[in-house]
Amino acid sequence: MSASLETIHLPHLPSSLEVHAALYKDVQNAASLRQQLLSANSNFEYAFIDASMVISRAHALSAVFRAVNDYLNERLKSRNIHSEIVFSFSPTNNIADSFRKFGISDTTCNLLVVKVSVTPDITHDSVAAHLAQNVQGTLLPFDDEALAGISDVAKIKRAYKLGSLPSACSKQANGAPDEGKRQLELSVLGAIALRGAT
Amino acid sequence: MIAIGLEGSANKLGVGIMLHPKDGSTPQVLANIRHTYVSPPGEGFLPKDTARHHRSWVVKLVKKALKDARVSVDDVDCICYTKGPGMGAPLQSVAVAARTLSLLWGKELVGVNHCVGHIEMGRLITGASNPVVLYVSGGNTQVIAYSSQRYRIFGETLDIAVGNCLDRFARTLHISNDPAPGYNIEQLAKKGKQLVDLPYTVKGMDCSLSGILAAIDGLAATYGLNGEQPDEEEDAPSEDTPVTDGISEDRKPTRADLCFSLQETVFSMLVEITERAMAHVGSKEVLIVGGVGCNERLQEMMGIMARDRGGSVHATDERFCIDNGIMIAQAGMLAYRTGFQTPLKESTCTQRFRTDDVFVQWRD
Amino acid sequence: MPTAHPPPFSTILSSTPQPSPTDLTPIYQGAEAHLYRTTFLSSTTPAALKIRPSKPYRHPILDRRLTRARILQEARCLQKLVKEGVSVPALLGVDWEPNADNGSSWLVMEWVEGGPVRVQLERWERYLKGVERERGLAMGEGIEKSEEEKVRGLMRRIGGAVGGLHRAGVIHGDLTTSNLMLRPKSAEAAVDEEGEGSPSMEGDIVMIDFGLAMQSAQDEDRAVDLYVLERAFGSSHPRTERFFEEVLVGYKESYKGSVSALKRLEDVRMRGRKRSMIG
Repeated sequence: MSASLETIHLPHLPSSLEVHAALYKDVQNAASLRQQLLSANSNFEYAFIDASMVISRAHALSAVFRAVNDYLNERLKSRNIHSEIVFSFSPTNNIADSFRKFGISDTTCNLLVVKVSVTPDITHDSVAAHLAQNVQGTLLPFDDEALAGISDVAKIKRAYKLGSLPSACSKQANGAPDEGKRQLELSVLGAIALRGAT
Repeated sequence: MIAIGLEGSANKLGVGIMLHPKDGSTPQVLANIRHTYVSPPGEGFLPKDTARHHRSWVVKLVKKALKDARVSVDDVDCICYTKGPGMGAPLQSVAVAARTLSLLWGKELVGVNHCVGHIEMGRLITGASNPVVLYVSGGNTQVIAYSSQRYRIFGETLDIAVGNCLDRFARTLHISNDPAPGYNIEQLAKKGKQLVDLPYTVKGMDCSLSGILAAIDGLAATYGLNGEQPDEEEDAPSEDTPVTDGISEDRKPTRADLCFSLQETVFSMLVEITERAMAHVGSKEVLIVGGVGCNERLQEMMGIMARDRGGSVHATDERFCIDNGIMIAQAGMLAYRTGFQTPLKESTCTQRFRTDDVFVQWRD
Repeated sequence: MPTAHPPPFSTILSSTPQPSPTDLTPIYQGAEAHLYRTTFLSSTTPAALKIRPSKPYRHPILDRRLTRARILQEARCLQKLVKEGVSVPALLGVDWEPNADNGSSWLVMEWVEGGPVRVQLERWERYLKGVERERGLAMGEGIEKSEEEKVRGLMRRIGGAVGGLHRAGVIHGDLTTSNLMLRPKSAEAAVDEEGEGSPSMEGDIVMIDFGLAMQSAQDEDRAVDLYVLERAFGSSHPRTERFFEEVLVGYKESYKGSVSALKRLEDVRMRGRKRSMIG
């Protein structure tokens, strides 16, 4: 089965706010995608996330949820909902730093792309078509298995200042993620939820 | 059957006469009179002076009560007096008076727990059958519920009583103690609009009030609002700022704002611990007793909470919630009817007497 | 389209209590908070949703301040404990700013499978009572060695869990057997149906409901936390009271500072809640 753009309805968000997500490996044109972002080309209003910084699907969706919830409550800290998604991966309030750590760079080869249907013209088909035209890479299913092959656990731990957690790199014999990884994932979800708590 | 009640655990001396009709119908108040020892502004009442006040008034009050009730000494069945808790010297002066009357008239004595007196009077007047009770006065702050022959304390203050907190702030502001410092704080609070930040300390069903008092005393000093205030104009609302407007935070608070903030914060804590107790025992009724129970803002807040829980609040006016003699007569008579009496030898009084120490034989 | 789509928070917050769709089940309505079972991040991930509604009796500024502070306090404690590896439901999402329209705040946690320790102990006490009645024994005589060991083991694990909590610098504030969950090790073990037999006490202890929790490392606070638990065992499960020492054994072994907290517990017991008072 070939992977494709996935459209997700997150629980507790208005169903009109569809979330479209696609995971790529071997991306060839990260530099030009990033250039489109920097020039604020509205056709390229996406959350472009360095997928090696994503530990699981829940991790990514929790950042998306946080951004959409802040959007609905008119509390965006950055330009738009898509820049806010990248920012929402961050455990701190430093926006520039969050883009350096979690956003696309010129050398990114594993890329997670997220787009939210904030206007009716943003649909699964429109997003799929635009991405097919503009991202040069291989689509992967947006799931934990694919992410497990991509994510850089040591770097993620550093970004969330969770270095003291037990080692989370090993896998148990049956292939199930071990307790350490589960604890890291849950700690990351909490950090995202609590960002900015004073 | 007729009981005379003598109360003097703090600065009010009360004498009351209750009639419990033989046919079992609702007890009636035959007389309820009170004389209060009022200290000058900025001062509290001292035990020695209060006891002297009680001694000099008790005979007059007893005579007047009998006259108001149109009963003779022969009609009286028992003499009820406050055994405690309260201030030592005033309690003693009234206990001596009760013993004297007992010997003089040859009537039985009944020693009564002051808090139980409040609860029984509140139940009688409001008709609340089995409420959670918030008992708030100058000396006590307790959340109480009845269970197997005891009024059990579910929550209480961990330091000073709410009435004490309000009274002491009245002293800080040099507000008059006539008719009561708490009453004058309440009137001033009605003119307050701006809420200042105060500590809010609730631990489970207990609360702490000393930190709030220290904080608001500090604010009064910072803004130069403590001590005598010749110009009462300042207490008038300065401008029409809506209460919910949090932006006006840097406006200098007035004395009225401080009274308002103190009440809003302290009463929220009381309502919160009461609600927790109601959820705990599964009750929908709440009864407020004690001197602070007269406060209309407290009654209003408690009413909103109780309504949201599908229940209601019961409160009484100043005749019954401020310390009085009939509450002692009422609780004393309930005990007396179950065969309880206090022999002369044991007719002492005690400053410390917990509500849950009383065996409540008259309830199921 | 998934068939079960939990409604947006804005609609949940604005109309509680509301009809319960399959994906939003009311669990408990306390004085402070409403608890629901729902899903979060995906429609197959069960979660617990806690809502702190506005209290209309309070001044609106004070109300927002308290609602915000308390939901944050709970969220921070949970997050701290998850990072320390203490077994509590993980924080999945939170919005501490009271909703602009209705003043409520919400928090979403991991769903904890299994049931409260309270239920298992009540079943065990019923079972014992049955045994004693059947054999005409006095109270407490029906406990066989294996039964006793089972309960002692459970108590030790409870002590260990509370010790882990205190080691991490958090005080629960309301430790009762209702707030201790017994989570089965595996899905198969979860099928432990209501019956007459002696109930299973296998599983991990998970502490829940941190609505009154605070961060503290003081012996006094730790001792009071233990004392509250001790009283809860005494009043809810009289037959287990004599095994409470096992909780303290488990607690003692769980972290370095436990000895001084246990010493303080003796003072707290002596003092009790009895406070003398003046009128």
